[in-house]
Amino acid sequence: MKLALKLGASLVALSLLTGGALAQDISIENPDWWQKAGEQFDGVTLRGVTESTPASNYVADVLAPKFEELTGIDVQIETTSWDQMYDKAIKDMEAKTGIYDMVYLEQDIVYAYLARNFLVDVTAALEENADLKAPAYSEDNFTTFAENFRGENGHLYGIPMEAFIKVYLYRKDLFNDPDIQAAFKEKTGKDLKPATTHEDYAEIAEFFTEYGKENNMDLWGTTAQAHTGHPASWYEYFESIAPTFGVYDWGIDADNNYAATVENGGSMNSDEAKAAMKWWLSMRDLAPPESVQSTWTEVATTFAAGRAAQGLVYGENAAWIATDDSKSRVVGDVGVALPPLEPGVMEAAESGEGYIGYYDGGAFGLPVTSKNQNAALLFMQFMALPEIQEDWAAAGSRVTLTSTYDTPKVKQVDEQLGGYYTMLRDDGRLFKGAPPYPFHRQVIEATTPIFYQILTGDISPEDGLDQMAAKTEEELTNLGYRK
Amino acid sequence: MQSNRLGWILLAPTLVILFFFGVVPFFYVLWLSFHQWNPFAVDPNIIYNGADNFRALVFDQGFLSSLGVTIAFVFFAVLSEVILGYFLAQAFMKEFPGKAIFRTVHTLPLIMAPIIVGSIWKLMTTPSIGIIPTVLDDWFGYDLNIGTSALAAFTVTVIMDIWHWTPLVTLTLIAALASLPADPFEQAQIDGANKRQIFWHITLPMIAPALLATVFIRLMDALRTVDEVLMLTGGGPGSATRYLGVHIFKEVFPKTNYGYGSAVSIIVLYLTIVACWLLYAALIAPRNKKA
Amino acid sequence: MKRQRTWLYLLFWIAISFLTLFPIYWLFVISVKPAVELFSTPEIILTKFYWQNYIDVINDETLRGYMVNSLIISTGNAVLVTVLGFLACYALSRFNLGGKESIFFWTITNRMAPPAVFLLPLFLLLTQVYRFGDFTLLDSRIGMILVYCTFNLPFAIWTLRPTIDGIPKELDEAAFVDGASAWTVITEIVFPLARPGLAVTLILTWVFAWNEYLLAATLTNFNARTLTTGLSEYVTTTGTEWGIMATISVFTLIPALIIFSMVQRHIVAGLTFGAVKG
Repeated sequence: MKLALKLGASLVALSLLTGGALAQDISIENPDWWQKAGEQFDGVTLRGVTESTPASNYVADVLAPKFEELTGIDVQIETTSWDQMYDKAIKDMEAKTGIYDMVYLEQDIVYAYLARNFLVDVTAALEENADLKAPAYSEDNFTTFAENFRGENGHLYGIPMEAFIKVYLYRKDLFNDPDIQAAFKEKTGKDLKPATTHEDYAEIAEFFTEYGKENNMDLWGTTAQAHTGHPASWYEYFESIAPTFGVYDWGIDADNNYAATVENGGSMNSDEAKAAMKWWLSMRDLAPPESVQSTWTEVATTFAAGRAAQGLVYGENAAWIATDDSKSRVVGDVGVALPPLEPGVMEAAESGEGYIGYYDGGAFGLPVTSKNQNAALLFMQFMALPEIQEDWAAAGSRVTLTSTYDTPKVKQVDEQLGGYYTMLRDDGRLFKGAPPYPFHRQVIEATTPIFYQILTGDISPEDGLDQMAAKTEEELTNLGYRK
Repeated sequence: MQSNRLGWILLAPTLVILFFFGVVPFFYVLWLSFHQWNPFAVDPNIIYNGADNFRALVFDQGFLSSLGVTIAFVFFAVLSEVILGYFLAQAFMKEFPGKAIFRTVHTLPLIMAPIIVGSIWKLMTTPSIGIIPTVLDDWFGYDLNIGTSALAAFTVTVIMDIWHWTPLVTLTLIAALASLPADPFEQAQIDGANKRQIFWHITLPMIAPALLATVFIRLMDALRTVDEVLMLTGGGPGSATRYLGVHIFKEVFPKTNYGYGSAVSIIVLYLTIVACWLLYAALIAPRNKKA
Repeated sequence: MKRQRTWLYLLFWIAISFLTLFPIYWLFVISVKPAVELFSTPEIILTKFYWQNYIDVINDETLRGYMVNSLIISTGNAVLVTVLGFLACYALSRFNLGGKESIFFWTITNRMAPPAVFLLPLFLLLTQVYRFGDFTLLDSRIGMILVYCTFNLPFAIWTLRPTIDGIPKELDEAAFVDGASAWTVITEIVFPLARPGLAVTLILTWVFAWNEYLLAATLTNFNARTLTTGLSEYVTTTGTEWGIMATISVFTLIPALIIFSMVQRHIVAGLTFGAVKG
């Protein structure tokens, strides 16, 4: 049992060594259909570009060889860093070079690509080429996350390959320790349990930071993704903190001429946004000192090193933190909960008007400039086959088909992970991806210089958010979105 | 003297390569700098906008502050590297046991890719888990925090640059010192000149071309620094280490602001050329003409 | 007296070497620690060794391919620019070419360009203009060797010029009077005397090409990817693999050290006299 878990968790590392062997183990239904479908693409090489995440590495190391074995179509996956991936895909599609047949679409870039008509309409393409449609492939299999990759016509433009929610992780060993519980009760008069409100969360954070200091431990009350020079901090505030205070979609009102300032009808500098910023800064001050240099990577490692009692951590990291003891000191001690909220936010999320946190992930899209579109369609359907999902889910802690939740390996990891997958299935609808704007990184880069100054204390949160809202409107005017 | 045709033939391959891979891209960027182009604007086309980009630059607070910190960074880093590099090169001119080993050791930082240098220095300086803040705190009670203190972050980037690039200065100066003729020095000693006089009147003028070439190279490389700083501080805290290379990188890569980014690059290129030309015209060109 | 001096020198160099080596030692420390231990109070002395990163790197075939590409591209480029730079400097130094000082200065301007913006035109040129039938320079080793000339060739010319200028003209003039061909003069008279400069140029241009990241990241995809681009694969949203990155860097020190020690001998060999007084 334990061994099986370990194996699942370190599958990525293993797959580097034994990718070929693992590919043999996956059995595909209807292999004859695939072989026949592949025959017309004799000698074709498909090229894809993606970020080197565990889920993508699994595509490169396991799925690609398996697909080649089935169909005879060679698949090369270029894995690279986050920045480079975007730049390379954009250059290729903009210049119509046709290097790539598949590009990774992070959920936040897809709207930009759709606005530029960079992507092939997968739904329509499969309708037109009925002979290419795999019998086992169906759009109905996908989880609701696939909605992020639909165009205005409701058609699918990308095949989801990874999906995560940013969750509230806490240390079960600390939260369940009777002595700590008693000490907490004595100090605050409350029972120690995962917080549901910001007030409770702050109280717990304060308690553990002090507790760590008193006992001379490397322990703090919360994590904070508060880098003073990397947009990771911007993301944490706008995607994970502001929504829990009722500020959605970065405080930009798309229906109201992309207003950002309160004056013009936006909410980027609203009182709620300012309260959120102050609360977050106070949490940053309780977090371990490295937080001012932390991106998502370091936050996950901080938690895995046992330096924080609770924190908001991206789901793609939750799995290895909870299961991989070569990287984590808190294996088996990880509890999962929904993020703490202001009153009214949960109701808004339930009714679909708001959301409580960030639903993150990505898909593979097919550029219109690709020279091997039909062969690429085959591979993209292959990635969405129910029978290949289980090991992939275990290797990359990602789930994109509803049927995957019920597979044995996923259930096993779910248990170890304190119910993360159950939460993803049941409460995933309360989380939302980045807003459907085609100008993500433009607005982020325009406003981060001000944002970092708020973090370093050079300007107050109030002034900073006012300036950011004004700067956002200015940038959107320059880009032509705000008239 | 041989015919000049042979000279041109020897020079030709260099000129051809630099033309195709240097000049042609330069004209593209120059052309782009007079256009507005962001592929993710409402209008994704390349639109001619005259000198608007350059006009905007003059009032761009981000660019101006970046220019300021860059000049400070380049000044401190390059000056320290040249002084340190010169003394180390002089020291390598003496004979002592293990010289070859020390020289190899001294050149090791050069072999490290900037992205790695940035990573090591980040891990060494991250508050509370890095070795340098820990040691400074334990021994001197000094709290070094490159995530919040602009001065600390600036200083660390300068020290990192010195660590990484001083060996380059040392090596080029070793080559220069090694090829100096012995006569003038012997003559000066016979004439009873002291060490300082020899340095100012003989050594310095003789190695001036090599020294200046080295200063130029370091100057322009420091101006273009991207990977190390991006990895170490991301340009932060705030904009404290957002040097021009980093500024342009952020303008062009995440922001896809190609038109404006081109204009910034052209201005940076122009300022670099002017600065170097002044130095060059004053110090090297006359000497080369004489030669 | 003399003995004391030697000791002082040794002490001085040991101190300098300590400062130089510490970050490299730390690189090694990072490479033999599991990731989670990097996030705790650091200790200077290593007590435990964790070799998994080394096992992973040795077994990774892709990285071996990157290493080969890196070696070919940087060695090819360094040799090319050193030879071309040497010939160009000889031309600039010995001939009365019209506007030669302007040409000399112009070459260095090619190195000044901030790279981020120039990636776009280079990408377009390599994919669409500089192509021979189906063969494009994008993602090819020869393409990278040529592209790297933009910053390395100016460097070679500028570091070699003082060396070539410093070689007395009288030497080659005397040879020409004796009836030697230009080729003989360049290879048998100028070349041996320029060896220290050439060795330094070769080393440094090799280093610049070896470490280059931005151009390689944009202009290579599958076939010509270099080690530095391989390193960036370990900086991702799910974690920066500090340990693996450090391990790869430790490995990259080995070929670099071999090349260094091969070339460094020539710096010494070129010394015409023991020491410069000053």
